Amino acid sequence: MSVFMDRLRSGLIRNRGWVTVLLGLFGLVAIWALLNLVIGGKCEQKCVIDTLAQTLRQVTPIAFAALCGVICERSGVINIGIEGMMLMAAMVGYAFNLLVFQLLKDSLGVETAGNVSRIVAMLMGVLSTVLLAWLHAVVSIRFKVDQVISGTVINILALGFTGYIYRQFLAQNVPAGPGTFPLVSIPFLSSIPFIGPILFVQKPLTYIMLIAVFFIHYMLFYTPWGLRTRAIGEHPRAADTLGVDVIRMRYINVLWGGVLAGLGGVWFTLEAVDVFNPGMTNGLGFIGLAAMIFGKWTPIGSLVGAIIFGLGSSVTATISIFRPDIPSQFPQMLPYILTIIILTGVVGRAISPAASGQPYEKQ
Amino acid sequence: MSNIPVARANFSWRRLAGDFWQLIKMPALAIILAFAVGVVVILLTSRSLTTVGEAYYGLLRGALFKQRGFSETLVATIPYIFLSLAVAVGFKTGLFNIGVEGQYTIGSVCAAWAGVAFSGLPAIIHLPLVLLAGALGGAAWAALPGYLKARTGAHEVISTMMMNYVAFRLAEFLVDGPLRDPLSSGVQTSAISPAAELWKLSAYPARLQDPLNALMVALVAALLVIVLARALLKSSRFAARMQSAARRRSLYIGAGLLVGVLCFVALPPLSKAWWPFTDPYDRLHSGLFLAVLAAVGVWWLLWKTTLGFELRMVGANPSAARYAGVSITRSIILSMAISGALAGLAGTIEVIGVSICGCLPLIFSSGYGWDSIGIALLARNNPFGILAASLLFGAMRNGADLMELNSGVSKYIISLIQALVLLFVSAPAIVRWVYRIKAAPKQEDDAKLTTGWGGPL
Repeated sequence: MSVFMDRLRSGLIRNRGWVTVLLGLFGLVAIWALLNLVIGGKCEQKCVIDTLAQTLRQVTPIAFAALCGVICERSGVINIGIEGMMLMAAMVGYAFNLLVFQLLKDSLGVETAGNVSRIVAMLMGVLSTVLLAWLHAVVSIRFKVDQVISGTVINILALGFTGYIYRQFLAQNVPAGPGTFPLVSIPFLSSIPFIGPILFVQKPLTYIMLIAVFFIHYMLFYTPWGLRTRAIGEHPRAADTLGVDVIRMRYINVLWGGVLAGLGGVWFTLEAVDVFNPGMTNGLGFIGLAAMIFGKWTPIGSLVGAIIFGLGSSVTATISIFRPDIPSQFPQMLPYILTIIILTGVVGRAISPAASGQPYEKQ
Repeated sequence: MSNIPVARANFSWRRLAGDFWQLIKMPALAIILAFAVGVVVILLTSRSLTTVGEAYYGLLRGALFKQRGFSETLVATIPYIFLSLAVAVGFKTGLFNIGVEGQYTIGSVCAAWAGVAFSGLPAIIHLPLVLLAGALGGAAWAALPGYLKARTGAHEVISTMMMNYVAFRLAEFLVDGPLRDPLSSGVQTSAISPAAELWKLSAYPARLQDPLNALMVALVAALLVIVLARALLKSSRFAARMQSAARRRSLYIGAGLLVGVLCFVALPPLSKAWWPFTDPYDRLHSGLFLAVLAAVGVWWLLWKTTLGFELRMVGANPSAARYAGVSITRSIILSMAISGALAGLAGTIEVIGVSICGCLPLIFSSGYGWDSIGIALLARNNPFGILAASLLFGAMRNGADLMELNSGVSKYIISLIQALVLLFVSAPAIVRWVYRIKAAPKQEDDAKLTTGWGGPL
């Protein structure tokens, strides 16, 4: 474990990740100060803990989207279809949650049926995005269509399909479902003051997200798979010369990206709220991409970026509780404006993987 | 679409038809394939073949044959034309403006503001003013991401998307706050002045009785004739006969003046005596002419002006363009501004031409944005192709309601079919594979969109 941490630390330094982390910390303090200024110093410890726990919840889908972006772009495939993928997973997850629960609740009892249906729903949601990711891979890798167009197709397709299924089956007369995942508090760790209630009383997908961030960071920078992935994103020809199957590797990575986007998508209907609305992803997929750019295409950096956005929206919620006189639209704009500011590179220049967006032609 | 000059001696209708077929073959096959997949989806979700028939029959009837069906289709087509022209202008410069919906929203807010704020002005001033306000609003909203892209490399796909959400919130705030009509129970802006309304086709006779309105129509007609006559006289056939530029100028200006005076004098009484559009409930409005004008204008701009050439050069090969001395920064910002202006005009026209309350209601988002990207791709960014493709999408949008009523198939199936059209058009290999067509010879490469995310250009 300590070897792992050492490598992680050296990796952070090598990627100048510590600059990002420092900036992130600075942002945290600045936002907290701003929050107190706006609401007039009423944010005590309870309020801070609530806001930060809420932040972590909001971070989950953004971080998953960013991870999907990292894996795809590190291997040279731009994926702007993450938004659509997440929407698809949200709809499929919601539908299967209801369906499986209706089928099982008599035979298994409400408790078990709920647990089973949520897990099945999660898997089906992920499966649906893997299918979309496969479509993206075929269209952009095999047919070499412009990857931005291909991603747009995914977005429109998901919007149309989820809208159709919603209107046809999910809009009215929906039976009561099993609801979202319950909170899981981790024994011992959750009783640590301050940090415990923030980090260790969360729902399962949030834990999966936190683990995935560090796992993928390790995989990307310290394993042969990661080296190959980065190679086919920077210089596919060289990687090909050294015997890496570029096309196959890109396919597999885009599919893994689909898995991550799917986990981010089912968060909406299996963890956040127990309803599905058309267009409920609200641009979080795009915000995830911005978080990825902020994090300079590293998983941990992306997490920091996602935390800033999550903080933006949870602080917004806190502000609207304490200050109902401020028109709610302005705090709601905050995350989007933040995204644009970050894109302009005020936090340092971002350099994308060199071959990102370019189809590979085998010679 | 390249403009290879064809020698007149070799002209043949058969070749023209063949060229035309080559041009529309892939889009047509893609549309057919998408509808076929639509059949499968409806079959899978309804499990009955008659439902499929009912749905498609309802779609066709709703789009064309129900009462006022076709003019409603045209009403739905108008914003599509503007928005997909906006997308196409971006594409041609190598920019992917997926924020047209936000620019549309801002355009509509600006129009609603200008339509109320300058009440009392005659239409001849007010109407152009409102159109200008909407166009400027949209242009500014798009120029900002363009500026950021040119200066800092912030990719326009994300920044315009983010600008969308900001635009929605901003419009919400303005309609619910400063611009809200205090007398109305609904959340909406005050009704715009009648002078700022875009005339319905059926309203022409009544409107023309005001001499100022007649003057406006006469001016527009005169301008159109001047532009057309000038282009005609410049064409090779006449240019050979009339060498003197001064004579040509006097000829086309004379023609314009003549038509203008004729319109001013004769149109009001003539239109009162006989007018083809008599149905007062028909919502078709003058925006149709503006849309066709915009399509011609974009074609002229992109293919007949230096600026258009520069924009297309930046889109096709930025390094070559820079080497040739074209300012990339300027091109990107201008292209985004033009694109945004077109999108803003779409919003403006919806407010001053279609809106039932004559105002901007709180819920005005349309879902036009993604569709218009599909249209632009379907038409391969050709302005005249965009007219045709917009008509198709407008017809589907208009027919969808009757389809849902008739067959119980949700109207969202339309978005699904449109997405499939887009998929098949952007990946012609799939269409070729399905229909077993051999690959066409490589055509002119379109502008490349994906050039990485970060770093200034």
